[in-house]
Amino acid sequence: MSNGTSNAGSRLGAILARRETSVALILLLVLIFMTLANEFFLTQRNLLNVGRQASVVAMVALAQALVIISRGIDLSVGSVIGLSAVTGALVAQETGSQVLGIGGALSAGLACGIFNAVLYTRFHINPFIATLGTMSIARGISLLMTGGIPVSFSGWASWFGAGRIWGIPASLLLMLLLAVIFYVLATRTRVGRNIYATGDNPTAARLAGIDVDRTRGLVFAVSGLVAGLGGLILAGNLASAGPDLGRGYELDVIAAVILGGTALAGGRGSIPGVLLGALLMALLGNAFVLLGVSSHWQVVTKGLVIILAVAIDGVRRGRED
Amino acid sequence: MLHGVDLSIAPGEVIGLLGENGAGKSTLMNIVSGSLKADAGRVLLDGREVQFGSVRDGIEAGIRFVHQELSTIGSLSVAENIFLGDYFAGRSGLVDRNRMTQGSLEALAAVGLEHVDPKTDVDTLRPGQQQLIEIAKAIVVEPTLLILDEPTSSLTPFEAKKLFELIGKLSASGVAVIFITHKLEEALANCHRIVVLRDGKLVSDEAAKATDKARLIQHMVGKTSVFEWGGSVMQPGQPQVEIRGLRDEHHLKPIDLDLNAGEVVALFGLVGAGRTEFMETLFGFRRAAAGSISIGGVPLRLGHVPTSVRNGIAMVPEGRKKRGILPSHSVERNITLSCLESLSRLGFIRGSAERTGAARLARALHIRMATADQQITDLSGGNQQKAIFARAVMAGPRLLLLDEPTHGVDVGAKSEIYEIIHDLARKGMSVVVSSSELPEVFAIADRCVVFSRGDLVGNLGRAEMTEHDILRLAFANH
Repeated sequence: MSNGTSNAGSRLGAILARRETSVALILLLVLIFMTLANEFFLTQRNLLNVGRQASVVAMVALAQALVIISRGIDLSVGSVIGLSAVTGALVAQETGSQVLGIGGALSAGLACGIFNAVLYTRFHINPFIATLGTMSIARGISLLMTGGIPVSFSGWASWFGAGRIWGIPASLLLMLLLAVIFYVLATRTRVGRNIYATGDNPTAARLAGIDVDRTRGLVFAVSGLVAGLGGLILAGNLASAGPDLGRGYELDVIAAVILGGTALAGGRGSIPGVLLGALLMALLGNAFVLLGVSSHWQVVTKGLVIILAVAIDGVRRGRED
Repeated sequence: MLHGVDLSIAPGEVIGLLGENGAGKSTLMNIVSGSLKADAGRVLLDGREVQFGSVRDGIEAGIRFVHQELSTIGSLSVAENIFLGDYFAGRSGLVDRNRMTQGSLEALAAVGLEHVDPKTDVDTLRPGQQQLIEIAKAIVVEPTLLILDEPTSSLTPFEAKKLFELIGKLSASGVAVIFITHKLEEALANCHRIVVLRDGKLVSDEAAKATDKARLIQHMVGKTSVFEWGGSVMQPGQPQVEIRGLRDEHHLKPIDLDLNAGEVVALFGLVGAGRTEFMETLFGFRRAAAGSISIGGVPLRLGHVPTSVRNGIAMVPEGRKKRGILPSHSVERNITLSCLESLSRLGFIRGSAERTGAARLARALHIRMATADQQITDLSGGNQQKAIFARAVMAGPRLLLLDEPTHGVDVGAKSEIYEIIHDLARKGMSVVVSSSELPEVFAIADRCVVFSRGDLVGNLGRAEMTEHDILRLAFANH
């Protein structure tokens, strides 16, 4: 074998060995199967619909990916979505100002993120526990604020949730914009490098002069802020902010991140991978609706896909050792 | 590690085992107790050859090894720790608490802890008391051979006295005891024989009555020094770093130290002397309780590593895997980690500057790698260590702190690292190297600062540096 082919061979091997590849393959299989199984699947309208459905999970997952890459985890995102939506809706209702409503939703998200950051970096509470607490607190506050009854939230918020630009859902465009920003952040900037270094070996990063606490605080704050944006979009889409909004989202979000090849142990992960993961989750949801299968099966299948994708990875790594 | 060591011990005999760090004391005892396998040679017990597959086998044959590091389980009670793994559980599988408590009381009385309630959780006790619990655990069933690794390092003088009474009693009832220590007086006063290891060889085996402190130090030091000193011939540079009254919250006494530009200063001390604590406090990684540092006359904010790095301090920590490398990152990204600020503009890293910067250092430090994009874990240990060096150097420090920089690297890489250290000093850096190997101190240092028990006890210029004096100082507070 000549040197060139062996090089190409090893490069191909390296690509095949990535979890993104397994997920991309599963994604392709689902696409082919659905194209054959349902004539409505491959229409512009349906695909844009999938994109819109994927957008909130994908956005929140982008920020979650940074958290997990830095060796943290944010379980509170689902509740923060709910609290932000409710806060935004109530502020808009009380003040009659659309701008303040949107500002309120984003600030509520950011405040939750900063709360998590402080619990972790100042009080040294394990992020799993800290965000588990915040998850419950944020959900409780949304219930208290609304008395359990949904609040109407239309106007500008509906544009975020249901608006279109050139026929493309605004939330999808927003998600793509965020993806580009996060990609550049992760791969080209000092902040991104600090995040990867902190997750790969926090002690070594600290000893190398990286401000590990500030890095950790930043990713949690960003995660909260993006969850706030997610709440705005979800509520806008329904034109109503229910206190239960976003319940269970943390699981879809973390699943998308893990499917995308991010290591829970920190230090590894890619933004394109996260997009693939989120897309797969949305596509599965769409497939079940189109095929008319009970949504209960959808829940089971989501779990199976996560286990399958990570298992392929684990078996391959196991063989390497 | 070990080279053809012969050692015999009679029932009731107490042997003191001495040697510098890394002389092979622990390795030897690990082989005897069954936790390591010998490459060659035999262990005989009562004249019969034994082969231990595990520590369990050793314990069953009556050999108990009490390690220096605590292995008590904090959340279990004293009694449960003493009878760990054997709770008098009968056929029912239930733990017999009464017998455990009874047995514990006897064992506790034997080690002088009669006032401790067997039901208390171990993590409420002081480290010294926990050490005694470990010894209690080892003697519940009377052993044939008891090995103690620096048992008195965390004990009060009173507890130590009690322990030696216990050793006397055990010896009288026929238990053989091997006693590893750094405290020479202790060994001379309480052992029958004293054995010294150096570089894995047994260099002396004498009756305690027939030897003395000076003679033992002589044995421990030897005189071979593998590496030639290539130290600076330049005039001592300008004062660069001034440390006043620096101490941490636990280990250190207030430390004063001045460092000149272009000078290599070795920090010598026994394990636990406080060298690492001092360096980490100086670097800001560990909280300072008091003191001040100034670099080039400018006072430094204490306790914040990013500030220290920005103001010209860099550190190569001990423990490459745990504290040095970013295992999932490339060699290049490992090297540039400490100077991303200068490599970026408006927060964006300039890729070309990063590549050329890393390549320049990889060349200067002779890092052997296929490409700079290679994952760092693909390199050999010595080359990984050089990459961590490169990281510190690339930050452009005026004060470079190196904590055991040649631990776990081979001889070739070792001499390369010594050359790098001298090169850096010649460029005007102050270099502080913590080392527990005397040959290394002589190979690199312009000056040797000796630590003992958290205190700076000696500051010897190159002309005054002798192995004897350095060791005498290192043992000063023992």
